[in-house]
Order: sequence, then structure tokens, then C-alpha cells
Amino acid sequence: MGFFEKLVELFSTPEYIDSLLHGFLLTIEISFFAVLIGFILGLIIALIETGKHKWLLPLKFICRVYVTIIRGTPMALQLFIMFFVIFAIRDFPQIVTAILAFAFNSAAYTSEIIRGGILSVDAGQTEAGLALGLSNFTIFRKIVAPQAFKNIIPSLGNEIITVIKETAIVSMVGMYDLNMAAKDIGSGQNMASYVVPMFVAALFYLAVVYLISFAIKRVEKRMRRSDARA
Amino acid sequence: MQGRKFDQNIEISVRGLKKSFGENKVLNGIDFDLYDGEKVVVLGPSGSGKSTFLRCINRLEEPTSGEVFFENTLISDTNVREMRAKIGMVFQHFNLINNLTVMENLTLAPVKLKKFSEDEASKKARGLLKHIGLSAKADAYPASLSGGQKQRVAIIRALMMDPEVLLFDEPTSALDPESIGDVLDLIHEVVDKGMTTMIVTHEMNFAREIASRVVFIDHGRIIEEGEPAEFFSRPKTPRVKEFLDKVL
Repeated sequence: MGFFEKLVELFSTPEYIDSLLHGFLLTIEISFFAVLIGFILGLIIALIETGKHKWLLPLKFICRVYVTIIRGTPMALQLFIMFFVIFAIRDFPQIVTAILAFAFNSAAYTSEIIRGGILSVDAGQTEAGLALGLSNFTIFRKIVAPQAFKNIIPSLGNEIITVIKETAIVSMVGMYDLNMAAKDIGSGQNMASYVVPMFVAALFYLAVVYLISFAIKRVEKRMRRSDARA
Repeated sequence: MQGRKFDQNIEISVRGLKKSFGENKVLNGIDFDLYDGEKVVVLGPSGSGKSTFLRCINRLEEPTSGEVFFENTLISDTNVREMRAKIGMVFQHFNLINNLTVMENLTLAPVKLKKFSEDEASKKARGLLKHIGLSAKADAYPASLSGGQKQRVAIIRALMMDPEVLLFDEPTSALDPESIGDVLDLIHEVVDKGMTTMIVTHEMNFAREIASRVVFIDHGRIIEEGEPAEFFSRPKTPRVKEFLDKVL
């Protein structure tokens, strides 16, 4: 059987379609919640690191250590540590462990992106707010955050894409994600070929990444309205 | 400072103000009073501490030591925001908020600080915009404005808060020669209406025209002050003579 016959077989066997969709759904679930939680944690870390109060110093130190460790060790190792050390609890839902592993990892990278974004906003913007008597909170919400966000959209998009693709390593701890589904279908007796299922899985990843890139371009364009010189 | 009696009409009072950036001592003890209705022009060579002096008044720079009083009240951590709302400031680089339209720039602070309702603020903003001939720019973003337009919007943004005092930090230094005139005209008009003002500037002719008092700062100290006619024609210190010889 050739490539196309196998392709037809894959798409005409409900069992295979089921497996792929099942795996795809898990990939999306892990990615979505990991990005979301990673962003919130990353924002908190970035706010601590760019904060000016003296009492933030010990927290800043903790954040620095955290970011250094996460960025300095392999994601696969972090996943193993989460599965076999930190959450080595009987019946603890695997998906939660996986989400947290990717969220904690993404938080470190996202915090650096957000920190860079906050620092990229001209000090004069903050000073204008201060001179008018606005509170630090209002200055952040109305002035610094929107400008920082606009500047970091491309990097944030990149981070989202990285997380989605990196979740493929959950197959290493036996979770049935899109990557695992492809391997599973390929090793089955009927298919007995890895090429087609892996090709299809690749298309799934590619489609999601493409959609997200497209959405991010749109958001970026909207946010750049205030830059227009005309 | 115990037992010091303040005149009722002093707006801003500075005592023993010092400011260092690391090893670099920028202000070396400044004592200064700004009376109601005064138009003080602060002159001095670059790096003399003029801008730092101005920025210490509304605490954009934290003084290393010394005190600043606004209407006889010591400016402290707890009241600084309230004080800033009454002390307007215009910056060298305009500092309009880039992500807000001209109208939003004008109304953000007065509405947030509950000085005016949304409607009152936008009505007042439209009036001021019309006055400076920029009504058409109400919904434009700052990026589409020229330097002179930005600075004039920045000036009316400060006026939106009905400040007691207006501080100008080199308001024309970042402008092209053509728009300097427009901005100076607007400052002139504001000052003529009786606004108590402090201006750091390098525009000597303008300084002579509008100042009720000139203050000369060098090496972080006020080394001479006086009425403009006196100051420009009969400077008392050799340092000011030398400065004026170079710039005039």
C-alpha cells in the first residue's frame, strides 16, 4: 500500500480518527491551561522584578533563582520531576501535573518577556502620569501595561507556539496526546506505518500554530493603531 | 526649621534641598520660595541641576535631603499625589501618553482623580483644544502630532487640572525652531493670566520677557537671583557675567 492509500485508510477508520482527535484534544487542553497559568504567574514574577519597593528584595531574589533554574534545565527533566517526584501521588490527575509542569516552565520565559515589555516603555510615560497625580495602579493599568503589551505581542505569540509544540513530550510519561496518538496508530497492526499518522499529526500541529500566528498578527495590527502617523 | 512663619502667599517653599545620584552631587542645598503669582525663570549651564531642582519639587526625583512645602504643607509620601495634582508639569519631551488619544490624554487625570465628571472634563478639553486650534486632533493619537502640537496639548493637559502652580522643564528644547514660537506664545498667554510659574529654559529673550524673577543655578546652588532687568543688565557675580556673555 502506498502513502495515499494509507492516508485514506487513516481517515476512513473511525478508531484512528477517534485516537487522533482524542490526542489532539489533550494537546490543546494542556497547552491552553499551561499558557494561561504561565501568563498569570509570569506576570506576577515580572511585576515583582520590576517593582520599586524595598520589601520586594527577598521576593526578587526568589524569582531570579526560579527563572534561572527553569531556564537552565531541560523541559523533559522538569516534566519527569513533576511526575515522579513532586506529584508522585497515587490517583493524582495526570493532566493537572502536565499542565502545571508546562505552566511553571512557561512562566519563567513569559516573565522575562513581560519584564522586557515593561522596561521598554519610556520613563516619561510614567512620569507624565505621576506628575498628574495618578496612582501607580492607574499608571500601570492605563499607561504602562497597554504599551508594554503591544510591544511584547510577537514574543508572547512565539511563547504560545513553543508551549503547544513542547507539550508533545508528555508522551514520554505515557500521556495520550497528539504525538502519542500518531505513534499509537502507526504501531497498530492494521496501519503498520509511522509515516502517515505522523504526517497527519504534523498537519494538526501546523494548523493550530498557523491559526494562532494569524490571530496574533490581527491583535498586533489592532494594537498598533496608535502608532499611525497619519 | 522650628517656629518658621510662612507667609500666606507662598506657594512653594524649598529648604536645604540636596540631591545626589550615587557619588554625583547634583543639588548642594537649595533654599527657595515661590510666591503666588510669580513667574520664576531658572537659568544655568547644562548639568547645573536646574531640571533636577524642578523635578524634586513634585518628587519625580526623590530628594536626598531637605524639605519641600506646598502651600505651607510638607510634601510627604502620604500627600505627594494630592500635591502633584495641584502642581502642573510640562516636560521637555512632552510625554503625552502614546496609547491614548489627545482627548483621553486631557481627560484621564481629571476624571480619575474625580476633579470633573466625564462630561465636564471633555467639555473643558474641547474648549481648550479649540483655543489652541487643535479641535480636529481630539481623537488623534500623539504619534500623528508635530512636536509643537504635542507640547501645546501637554500644556493644556496640565491646565485641565486647574493647577495652583505650573512647572515647565525646558519646554522648547526638543522643538524645531518653527514650532518654538507657537509654544512660547501659549506659555506667555498662560503666564499672563496670572498662573504661578517656574520655567527652566534656555530661551533668554523669552526669559527676560516673562520672568518676574530670575534664578541662576550653578553646581547645584542658587548663586544669584533678581529681577530680569537687573539680572540681565547688571549681573552681580562673575559667574553670571560669564554665562550671559556666552549666551547673549
